[in-house]
Amino acid sequence: MSLRPPSARGFSRGSGLFRLRFGFIIIAMVLSVFGARLVQLQGLDPNAYAAMAEREGVVNAVLPAERGAITDRNGVDLATSVDGMMIVADPSMTDGDAAPIAAYLAEKLDLDYVTTLNRLREKDTRFQYIARRIPSTIANKALGELEDRGYKGLSVRRDPMRDYPAKDVAANLIGFIGEDEALAGLERTFDSTLSGVDGEETYEVGDGKRIPLGDSTSVAPKNGQDLQLTINRDVQWYVQRVLRNTVRSSQAESGVAVVMDSKTGELISLADYPTFDATEPLSSAKSEDDLGSRAMSDVYEPGSVQKVLTFASLIDAGKVTARTRIAVPSELRREGRDIPIHDYWQHGLLRLTAAGVLSKSSNIGTVRAAERISSADLHDYLREFGLGERTNVGVRGETNGILPDKSLWTQGTHDTIAFGQGLSVNAVQMAAAVNTIANGGERISPSLIKGSATTDAGQTVGTERTERTDVVSEDAAEQVTEMMELVADPEDGIAPAAAVPGYRVAGKTGTAQRVGKDCGCYDGTYTVSFAGFAPADDPRFTVYVVVQDPGNGGGGGSVGGPAFSKIMSYLLRKYAVAPTGTKPSTLPVEW
Amino acid sequence: MSSPHPYSRLPQSRARVQRIAEAAVERARLTVVPRAKVPARRVPFVTLVSLMLVGGVVGLLMFNTTMQQDSFTAASLETKATDLTSREQTLQMQLEKLRDPQRLAEKATKLGMVPATSPAFIRLADGKVLGEPRPASAEDSFDIRTPVVKKPAALTPDPVVIKTRARNRGRSGDTGAASPDAGVRTGRNGATTRNQGDRSTR
Repeated sequence: MSLRPPSARGFSRGSGLFRLRFGFIIIAMVLSVFGARLVQLQGLDPNAYAAMAEREGVVNAVLPAERGAITDRNGVDLATSVDGMMIVADPSMTDGDAAPIAAYLAEKLDLDYVTTLNRLREKDTRFQYIARRIPSTIANKALGELEDRGYKGLSVRRDPMRDYPAKDVAANLIGFIGEDEALAGLERTFDSTLSGVDGEETYEVGDGKRIPLGDSTSVAPKNGQDLQLTINRDVQWYVQRVLRNTVRSSQAESGVAVVMDSKTGELISLADYPTFDATEPLSSAKSEDDLGSRAMSDVYEPGSVQKVLTFASLIDAGKVTARTRIAVPSELRREGRDIPIHDYWQHGLLRLTAAGVLSKSSNIGTVRAAERISSADLHDYLREFGLGERTNVGVRGETNGILPDKSLWTQGTHDTIAFGQGLSVNAVQMAAAVNTIANGGERISPSLIKGSATTDAGQTVGTERTERTDVVSEDAAEQVTEMMELVADPEDGIAPAAAVPGYRVAGKTGTAQRVGKDCGCYDGTYTVSFAGFAPADDPRFTVYVVVQDPGNGGGGGSVGGPAFSKIMSYLLRKYAVAPTGTKPSTLPVEW
Repeated sequence: MSSPHPYSRLPQSRARVQRIAEAAVERARLTVVPRAKVPARRVPFVTLVSLMLVGGVVGLLMFNTTMQQDSFTAASLETKATDLTSREQTLQMQLEKLRDPQRLAEKATKLGMVPATSPAFIRLADGKVLGEPRPASAEDSFDIRTPVVKKPAALTPDPVVIKTRARNRGRSGDTGAASPDAGVRTGRNGATTRNQGDRSTR
């Protein structure tokens, strides 16, 4: 105080007491303002403020689970998930620059210029999809470029994509995914396995960045599991091309080809035609039927391929052998049947062995041979071969096929079933039945999934669930194989086109009358097929080709045979199966 | 009157005692002395406290800054990881496209190749040929191309060709690359448009 200049003393603010009181009043006023604000914030509707604060700084994010891939037997992707992006626009901001933006996007993302332009100019909205399911690098690059050019109002959002790199390869099996859910095929059947469980994360942000040590909770996503098939992509591709060529060149309605590993029952290929491109299912499929798997859902009468099963049953039951002599008249009249049974070719009385009956595919001979077995026994054999029962490989919409109950069998049923009419199968059923012969009389249930997986119906399927049942003896299977070898024989057989030069091939043609969709009767169209395996004395692959309604009048040997030969040669080469070098079958066909 | 007496006596005795051992008494007199003030050395203590305070504050600040910085780094690395993941996926997609059996087959067909039909093997042990080797021929090839879907005529109209005189004859030298843009363009569906040409002015 003493240092103060004397002149300041005159302006003193009164006594210390006054200053103290004045200060307290100021402090009280300020504190009461704080207090009032406190009451306002905490007393009146505190939750609204808390919620507001939370909205400002708390982010709730879904941690998306990655959908599992579908791969072939070697792990090659048939369906994969890719981080995709959608580009969305706020038309209120893009309206002015719509033309240049649309031109740029149309060029970069291959969009339609006019549609994009209209969307960018849409009135009374602030949200328009511009492009969906674009790989994120491409979307981000395009958006970054547009931002650099000074165009605003576009943003990207997460939009997971499903990619089918092989397009139509195995599309009928794999199916496809719609905008939000799996719509068809294995994608849908195994959706719960593939899709996984999304996780969730809540955290606080400040200035767009996550606040360290802020409140956060997170539940990690559970990624979907991969699904591995027994299909080989390259084989599937080749088989599909051969099948397409076969169906188109014979002007047929549709076709199916099945390739099975004889020893394990694994389906190496399951091809359908017509098919579709899984990357654009709706525009590439001509009808809804093309989207499913005809190999599993189509029922048809197998025709003469069935004779393989009939003779295997007969030989196993000890009723005939490959050399049994059968007299084959030109036609066979049966009681209670107006139309006599014919063979597909005109002949007088033939003296054929059982081997000859099979290799020449004589209906009459088969009926004569089948007279020796009871209907109940034949029915039980066919049941054991897997007819009339789903294969349950995991493809949805599979048909049971129709094997009439044995109580319903008449003499007529017995006769026709013996040569493959009057019962219905699906292609995989029939392939598995023929494979029973290839595998020495032991039926292996076919499988499409490696390991095991559970379908949406709660059924566990896959190679781990393979069942093996002895249907006929090894000797019976061997005899039937030798009989089947004659089918592709250039002299005695009816399908020399099915031969693979240098190899012993066992096979059987089938040409069956077809029940039309409209009349419920045989409408004059045919199902032609060829089933076989090679090498005959040590089978590795069973191939079954079925073509519905060929318009060129071809039969199982001329339509199915060449396709079989092409597919089998490819398989033998690809899997390096050398010829066994043994002598081919020399069974007599006549006596 | 009596009062002076005690007074008078006390000083007397005291004076006497004083007199007896004046020097000793004088020496033994106790007095309250002020507590010995050892001046506490303030400087180190204050320094210590200040240092702790400053150190704490600075440490906390640095800790926070580092954490903040790390969080930024984490965020940017995460973005980078996402970018790289999607790039990998895109490359994977490209690879799958290149590996597509259809593409390979079409390329091979263009080169004049046909599928091999009769498998045959050479046994290295004795040089024996297994199977019946046969040279592939043109008959072995078959059409592997996707059949062309015939579109209705309404969807594939004939291109409309409008002949105009070239207005800018002088520009051929410098904007040769841009000039195709200015011409008549045929769209994907065969429709002919001229409005795409004005792209060059933007």
